[in-house]
Amino acid sequence: MDIYSGLNRATILSCVSVLLSMSLTGCVGLGTKNESIHGALTAGRVGHALAIAEQQDLAHEDVLASLNKGMLRRMTGDYEQSNRFFEIAKLQIKALYGVSVSEQAGALIVNDTMRGYAGDRYEQVLLHAYMAMNYIQLEDFDSARVEMLQADIKMQEWGEQPEEDPFVRYLSGMIYEALGEKDQALVSYRKAKEAYKLTGGKQGLGIPATLKKDLLRLLTEQGLENELKLLQKEFKLENFKPESIPEGYGELVVVVNSGLAPIRSAASIVTSTGGEIVDTVKVSVPQYLSSKQPYSVRLTTDRKMSAGLETVENIDALARAALDDDMPLIMTRAIARAVVKHKSQKEVEKRGGAMMGFLATVANMVTEQADTRSWTTLPQTIQLTRLRLPVGMNKINVEIYNASGTLVDTIEKKVQIKSGKSVFLSEHWVAPNMASNIVADK
Amino acid sequence: MYCSKYRKFMSVLVVLGLAAGMAACKPTITREDPNTVIDLSGNWNDTDSRKVSQEMIQDVLSQRWLSKFNASHGRIPTVIVGKVRNLSHDHINTQTFVSDIRRALINSGEVSFVASSEERGEIRGERKDQDLNASEETRKAMGNETGADFMLKGTINSIVDAIKGEQTRFYQVDLTLIDLSSNQLVWVGQQKIKKSIAQSGLRL
Repeated sequence: MDIYSGLNRATILSCVSVLLSMSLTGCVGLGTKNESIHGALTAGRVGHALAIAEQQDLAHEDVLASLNKGMLRRMTGDYEQSNRFFEIAKLQIKALYGVSVSEQAGALIVNDTMRGYAGDRYEQVLLHAYMAMNYIQLEDFDSARVEMLQADIKMQEWGEQPEEDPFVRYLSGMIYEALGEKDQALVSYRKAKEAYKLTGGKQGLGIPATLKKDLLRLLTEQGLENELKLLQKEFKLENFKPESIPEGYGELVVVVNSGLAPIRSAASIVTSTGGEIVDTVKVSVPQYLSSKQPYSVRLTTDRKMSAGLETVENIDALARAALDDDMPLIMTRAIARAVVKHKSQKEVEKRGGAMMGFLATVANMVTEQADTRSWTTLPQTIQLTRLRLPVGMNKINVEIYNASGTLVDTIEKKVQIKSGKSVFLSEHWVAPNMASNIVADK
Repeated sequence: MYCSKYRKFMSVLVVLGLAAGMAACKPTITREDPNTVIDLSGNWNDTDSRKVSQEMIQDVLSQRWLSKFNASHGRIPTVIVGKVRNLSHDHINTQTFVSDIRRALINSGEVSFVASSEERGEIRGERKDQDLNASEETRKAMGNETGADFMLKGTINSIVDAIKGEQTRFYQVDLTLIDLSSNQLVWVGQQKIKKSIAQSGLRL
């Protein structure tokens, strides 16, 4: 008598449901590391999030762990260490170049997490942008320039125009301009404009007003009248008179990284192709839950000047678009895997009997997990403004407003403005009191 | 029969796994001759730095500026190292080949060097401290520094052409020696390095 036949259907089903719930817990388990970091960040405890991150991946093998450590170090103001981890992430990404035969086989037999995660394309390019912003904070503009050139090579290597990141192009232009390389800056601003036109829709963004003004200003400075007139018409800024920084003034470039990139969760379905337990298969794919309304940011100064910041990169939208683009391949692999797993269950049952078939089915269901990996310490949006300020010490208030327009936090900063120069201020904001918590945690 | 074959297979797997694990635990360290050419990533490396500095030294010492200066001034020229800007796509430590060039030029006896602007700050701080704390016999006075005759400065540029796993990298190093009294360029050195990098689209 077969062991399987000795068990009643209700017992087996209850066993399966327990294991199914275990399997679902397993799905959550993939994201748990990120969720605990996420949880600490949304509570405004960057130091705690960093402590969690630093316990992970001590052997430096995981791209995401290095990216998180780099970003959290950046949030705490430790720009040198941040770049050290980002540099490790770069090497790890390089090591994952190409298609791995064993990982593809693992993805077909077990689940998609068997594939090495080198980061989505938008994540790989933003890695260079954050390294560049770290170097700017360290006042090493030449090294920031190196990062922008590396991002350029990366985008060039992919060879497809829609992969251009408009913010990275815009940032490159600002770095070139700060270094006095106006020709190069103009080329980057032009590329940024084109990238916003081509790919901005994916992010729900148009060409930022600051970029339009920067382009017109540089074209005026370089005496490129024809292009200037064409762009003034295109931007509907015919009466705009671009001016260089006046005597006794300098420029403040404020970049605010607000909120957090969305976390992927798993969507699972359990289906049966016949009446037997071994005919049960589970398919798990990643998904994003509905997005949060982004925060808006405003800047005020002690000299009664103010400006609203513009969104120059919508990472929330980029992450969702990247998953949408990948979904056909993810689904194809998931279906192929379901077929392989179903066949293996039937084969094991045929060779080892009903109980072995049942165990194989359970094992296959438990191991079926969605690949929910993504760089979740990235901000939800990057916002920017450029403001002319008088030379000397200026007190700045960076005001964060929620979607209903309520002021939720104010970051107070002092910046020394130098004549005719650009000073960069780069802030991260995830939750109220984040800045004071960083000081307290230290 | 089936079980015994399976057990054997599993034992082999375990032994192989353990061997691989043990190999992974112990780092492999091999000492290399500093002149050995080792290209790992295709990035700018010590070999490039050494090659550029050697060729630049040969060039700078063989040009006429040196003999002309000796003839007109009756002494060897004094040089200061200015900034060598890295405009390439690699994070390059320009200090390594600048110090190679400086060392070779000093050792040639044809040129003397004065401390760079960063080094001077530190030395002036020390002299200030001596003014307060050192004995009169050993104290070094301010205002006795040797003024440089020439400044050595330059750039490292790169052009990269890349498409799906293949890259051509072209590095160009330009060094110039500028007469500090007239702003004239008395020597221009240029070195070029080209590399092709192909990365396999498949891995294990």
